[in-house]
Amino acid sequence: MDWFFYAVALPMAVLFLASTVYALYWASQKGQLRDFDKGAESIFDDEEPIGRPTDFFPGKSPAVKTPASKS
Amino acid sequence: MASAPSLAASLNPATTSDDVQRAELSEIDASTKWPALFLLASAVGWLLIGTVFALISSVKMHSPDFLGNYEWLTFGRTRTAHLNAVVYGWSVNASFAVAFWLMARLSRSVLRHAGLLIVAAVFWNIGVTVGIAGILIGDSTSIEWLEMPAYATPLLFLAYALVGAWAVITFRFGKSKHIYVSQWYILAALFWFPWLYSIAEIMLIFAPARGTVQALVNWWFAHNVLGLWFTPIGLAAIYYFLPKVLGKPIHSYYLSVLGFWSLAIFYNWAGVHHLIGGPVPVWVQSAGIAASFMMVIPVIVTAINHHLTMVGSFNALKYSPTLRFIVFGAVSYTVTSLFGSAMAIRSVAEITHFTHFVVGHAHEGMYSFFTMVMFGSIYYIMPRILLKEWPSAKLISLHFWTTAIGSTLYVFDLKIGGFIQGLLLNTPVLAHKFGLQPGTDPVPFIDTVKVTIPYLQWRTYSGILMTVGHIAFAINFAWIIVRSAQATKTQPTLFRTPPEMEVTAQ
Repeated sequence: MDWFFYAVALPMAVLFLASTVYALYWASQKGQLRDFDKGAESIFDDEEPIGRPTDFFPGKSPAVKTPASKS
Repeated sequence: MASAPSLAASLNPATTSDDVQRAELSEIDASTKWPALFLLASAVGWLLIGTVFALISSVKMHSPDFLGNYEWLTFGRTRTAHLNAVVYGWSVNASFAVAFWLMARLSRSVLRHAGLLIVAAVFWNIGVTVGIAGILIGDSTSIEWLEMPAYATPLLFLAYALVGAWAVITFRFGKSKHIYVSQWYILAALFWFPWLYSIAEIMLIFAPARGTVQALVNWWFAHNVLGLWFTPIGLAAIYYFLPKVLGKPIHSYYLSVLGFWSLAIFYNWAGVHHLIGGPVPVWVQSAGIAASFMMVIPVIVTAINHHLTMVGSFNALKYSPTLRFIVFGAVSYTVTSLFGSAMAIRSVAEITHFTHFVVGHAHEGMYSFFTMVMFGSIYYIMPRILLKEWPSAKLISLHFWTTAIGSTLYVFDLKIGGFIQGLLLNTPVLAHKFGLQPGTDPVPFIDTVKVTIPYLQWRTYSGILMTVGHIAFAINFAWIIVRSAQATKTQPTLFRTPPEMEVTAQ
């Protein structure tokens, strides 16, 4: 059954790799690999700005609710 | 907010996303409520069922007569039922919920076609129920990680395909121009898994490959379930919740991107390390070992990134339940992955392979890393979709400490016990040097079994500890669902007051 491995499993593994390499190419073409600072900040916005923690134990909220000035 | 679009409209590239306004976080969270609740409730149910099977199996390891009179509770079935309940029941349900909640938030779009997800979730849970019932009545396929009988798998595949289709739709309609690293991880996981699963099912169950090829496909699949499904989802959650809870961006976004792409390129090849020393072409094994070592790159990169994000904010661990679980999971990811790479070295594998060491390693990955991250995520998600606070801080603390101590004990215990077992089994000279046996001759096999018994007993004790944590979690989980919203006086787990948040989708 060696042929099975060479005919199916190996091409599949290679195809997996190829799909990943293509996705990486796509990402670089779309500019996803530029401006990393902006990328890191993309999960924050005016509603939940940088500098404001968002999770506390119930009933144990510390006095950190003031939003930070920087955003 | 835009009204619910038809499925056809969502699939048609001609409909642009321009008419979809940028959704508020509260709107997005509200739109995920029902599918998330259904998936998470199912997950918690499976967690409890899986825990019961785990305890039964663990006790049987050192007291084989325990429940020995029931055919459907023999070790081969309870252990398999445990694996399938916690992997396909708890972990996959939880990861579905966390993945699409994150996807919706990160693509800044309300959840489209929530009905599709609920249908997928129902199919998934029926499939898992049928599969585990099949295992208990003796229909297990005996292929590790794919033990569910063939009559259960089409349901599972259908569910997966629906979820995958949904993710593509959500991604396309996203309003966020930038693809955050968590989205990459989730997309990759959703894209790869149905592919992996269908190939493995075809090559192992429906038209089985024979001989060593079967083992090769089996481990290619089994390791990729961990590497290309659970690891990406767990890391996606860490990359979102760690900076989000702290309120500061990830230390180096560059490193996070590097980590993702190196994982994507190398992990697929690593599964062969399960067959080191087996009757598989040596070059294939070497490729697996090389890939396992290349995995050190994403692991170290991710570890540096997570740690440097935490520096200066360790105080936050005191006040955030989510952060505690997430940080515990992130540290465990680093440790377990480095162990994993080390275990791929031929001379190490010679000792650790086929011992309890591997079981300890597997639990460090699936429990200390993945499950703890899911716990943390659920602690963050539930208050936001229900607009209620968690009822009991004490239960959260109890949950954290029992599972953290329990899983640490479990992992150390089995790794030490397994290593001793491996030394006695395979390297009598080394075992003699360590003072484990009198001479340098191989010892009788039964001695290598007996030496593990105290470790197996300790495993049961640590399992009991984790069970206590799971019960505390389940109580808190059921409680937050049934408690009335008015009973909540303060909203510390929330960051806004409820009236602002009470915006429903559609």
